[in-house]
Amino acid sequence: MLSRVAETLYWMSRYVERAEDITRILTVNFNTELDAKVQDSQDVWRPIISLTGDEKLFSSHFDEYSARTVSEFLLWHSANQNAVTTCITLARENARSVREQISSEMWEHINRLYFLVRDLKREIGSRGPYEFFDQIRVGSQAFQGITNETMAHGEAYEFIQIGKHLERADKTVRIINVKYEAVNRLSGGPEVSLQLIAMLRSCSAFEAFRKTQASQLHAARVAEFLLLSQEFPRAVSYCLQRALRSVNLISGDGGSKRNLLSPQRTLGRICSELGYLEIDEVLDQNMHPYLDRLLVSLNEAGIEITRTYFNTQVIATAQHPPRQQQSQAQQ
Amino acid sequence: MKEFPSTPTSLLASYEASDFFDEMFSSTGEPRPHYRQLHSRLADMTAEAFNERRGDADISFLYQGITFTVYGQKTEGIERIFPFDLIPRIIPAEEWSVVERGLTQRITALNQFLFDIYHDQRILKDKVIAPELILGAKHFRREMMGINVPKNVYAHIVGTDLVRDDQGKYLVLEDNLRSPSGVSYMLENRQAMKRTFATLFQRYGVRAIEHYPQELLHTLRSVAPRDNPDATVVLLTPGIYNSAYFEHAFLARQMGIEIVEGRDLVTHDNRVYTRTTKGLKPVDVIYRRIDDDFLDPLAFNSMSTLGCSGLLNAWRAGNVTLANAVGTGVADDKAVYAYVPAMIRYYLSEEPILENVPTYLAMHEKDCQFILDNLDKLVVKAVNESGGYGMLVGPHASAAERETFRGLISSNPRNYIAQPIVRLSRHPTYLDGELHGCHIDLRPYILCGEKITIVPGGLTRVALRSGSLVVNSSQGGGSKDTWVLND
Repeated sequence: MLSRVAETLYWMSRYVERAEDITRILTVNFNTELDAKVQDSQDVWRPIISLTGDEKLFSSHFDEYSARTVSEFLLWHSANQNAVTTCITLARENARSVREQISSEMWEHINRLYFLVRDLKREIGSRGPYEFFDQIRVGSQAFQGITNETMAHGEAYEFIQIGKHLERADKTVRIINVKYEAVNRLSGGPEVSLQLIAMLRSCSAFEAFRKTQASQLHAARVAEFLLLSQEFPRAVSYCLQRALRSVNLISGDGGSKRNLLSPQRTLGRICSELGYLEIDEVLDQNMHPYLDRLLVSLNEAGIEITRTYFNTQVIATAQHPPRQQQSQAQQ
Repeated sequence: MKEFPSTPTSLLASYEASDFFDEMFSSTGEPRPHYRQLHSRLADMTAEAFNERRGDADISFLYQGITFTVYGQKTEGIERIFPFDLIPRIIPAEEWSVVERGLTQRITALNQFLFDIYHDQRILKDKVIAPELILGAKHFRREMMGINVPKNVYAHIVGTDLVRDDQGKYLVLEDNLRSPSGVSYMLENRQAMKRTFATLFQRYGVRAIEHYPQELLHTLRSVAPRDNPDATVVLLTPGIYNSAYFEHAFLARQMGIEIVEGRDLVTHDNRVYTRTTKGLKPVDVIYRRIDDDFLDPLAFNSMSTLGCSGLLNAWRAGNVTLANAVGTGVADDKAVYAYVPAMIRYYLSEEPILENVPTYLAMHEKDCQFILDNLDKLVVKAVNESGGYGMLVGPHASAAERETFRGLISSNPRNYIAQPIVRLSRHPTYLDGELHGCHIDLRPYILCGEKITIVPGGLTRVALRSGSLVVNSSQGGGSKDTWVLND
């Protein structure tokens, strides 16, 4: 398929996933804030921003971390390139430019999501954040389902899967990173449980985790589940296995390990590492550096995918491509 | 069973036919025979019931993203739904067969004209058309001289605009030989009508149009280099910011071909390739929806980022077909249009089946004086504009607008033509809760490859502003489904 199309589908998928993840994190935090009597709200909201790595950008526009400022920043602030509104708009723009590659149902649905966030400020004002968050989450999940059910599972589909799973793995790692630190700082008691529940809920993993671990919530078990589960669809290991599978479906396994492409090598290495990891090796103060390294590897995998499949642009981007495109007479 | 009388809320209660030609009603106010079924269906319907169906159709258009873009001063266009009117326009079989023959004749002559102009120029030597009119035309391409194209076809996809005058006679308003658009609306309108008025549609016996994308693909394949039956066809779009991008994507999907942008293409050794995730793939036929000027920065506009360097050379080497060919615009120049009947007589030795609208060329001194003396009665058009831009509707224009055009015409007479106002036929159309008579035109789509194919009907455009004569989508027009009936 066309390199440009593959890249567009990959980013469309990443942006939808990103919007959903950010929304879920916000939802959970609204809930946590209600329970956190002793903490002041700075402590509840600051980690959310450090999770996306945008502290500098945030503090150049806002003075304090609160439900209002953080929500505004993450939902629609124009300076934030990863705001939910921006993500959905970009996902739709991407979908629009490859309209013929995706099913009509997918296009209709992403349009619906777009019209939802376009009027976001008004919607939140009139209906309150919870219902709105729900709509975004359900919208994104429905999009994944519709994609799965209405699109041929060929090469285009696999690029969508790669985008989704890489983005999701990245967000899960970041959630563990921030929340685990919060748990570490506490000296036990009900607050620990609350934080662990928040960590699980941020990944929609609470119920799935409970089914495997009925006992007391332990930080080690929760981290292990979110990092290493091979069955839970938002666990890092699961996501990367899936991404690797998609890459293999696109490029074939080459007959031997010697003929692999660089994305296959990079993803394969990370998967092996996670596959052989003992959670005890990375607990407590080892967790943070380990997750940071993992984020770097994930980033590398993304770069390799771009280099291998998408990097074909030779014409320099023009100053005003939209003008030239518009000027073409359609009689 | 109790019969419900027609209540004041009935859709047709307040419909007033006028002295225009009305498609549905004869001059005595009776519905014409081919409209009777539709008429009685509408008479039974309350405005509320109709409105409900209309709402359903509107929403599905928005969700499917059937929108077009209107350009203003800012870079970003505004996206709008192309308004769709649920009352279909109906054409009986015998009427259509005349239109079909007329169009076939016209396109045959136009393609022969293009071949002639880019080869021996007999029509100029025989003084049927003045050489300066052609050789000085904006869209005349010297680069095309002496080049042979497969099957000698230049214009493969044509959209010809027809109107009906106050006698109901079909007239050709203009030929679009470069990148005619709108065919996707024709296909989507049909889908919407089938959903909303299924029973009526079935009873009427309407000829199908759904095979258009297949016919288009077949046409494109038939003009592939070296008669290759497995030719790879792609659609070249300017990109998502183009007003017709929706249509480009739609057609590519319907044909099952790749939609590409200039940056997806690369030439090597006079062959064109697409860049893919698995390397370079050769291309044989390009259905291009970008202007000649932007096709190849090496040959034409060097600032173009929409085309592909080396494309023209690959095409000249006969390794790729461009549809439509470069330089077809010379034949849809609005001044050259005036000579199409002469072309038909010259090349085919036949009388034109479809007449032109009478046209005055400002380049002729006598015509020019007439135009300037009658600016308040005529429609003035710039010869190379389309989409309703660059025109003056005399009687509706302000004095200042007329003076502007007076200056424009005097300083560049070659660039302007004028036509008397055609009293376009009207068709009942839903506006603000009632049916009104709105002006319509018809754009059939003609495919020309090995043979000429015209899917029955086309896009009926309707002026949705009361009294307006301009039906272009960018100027507040809408569209209707067009039903050509079986014999």
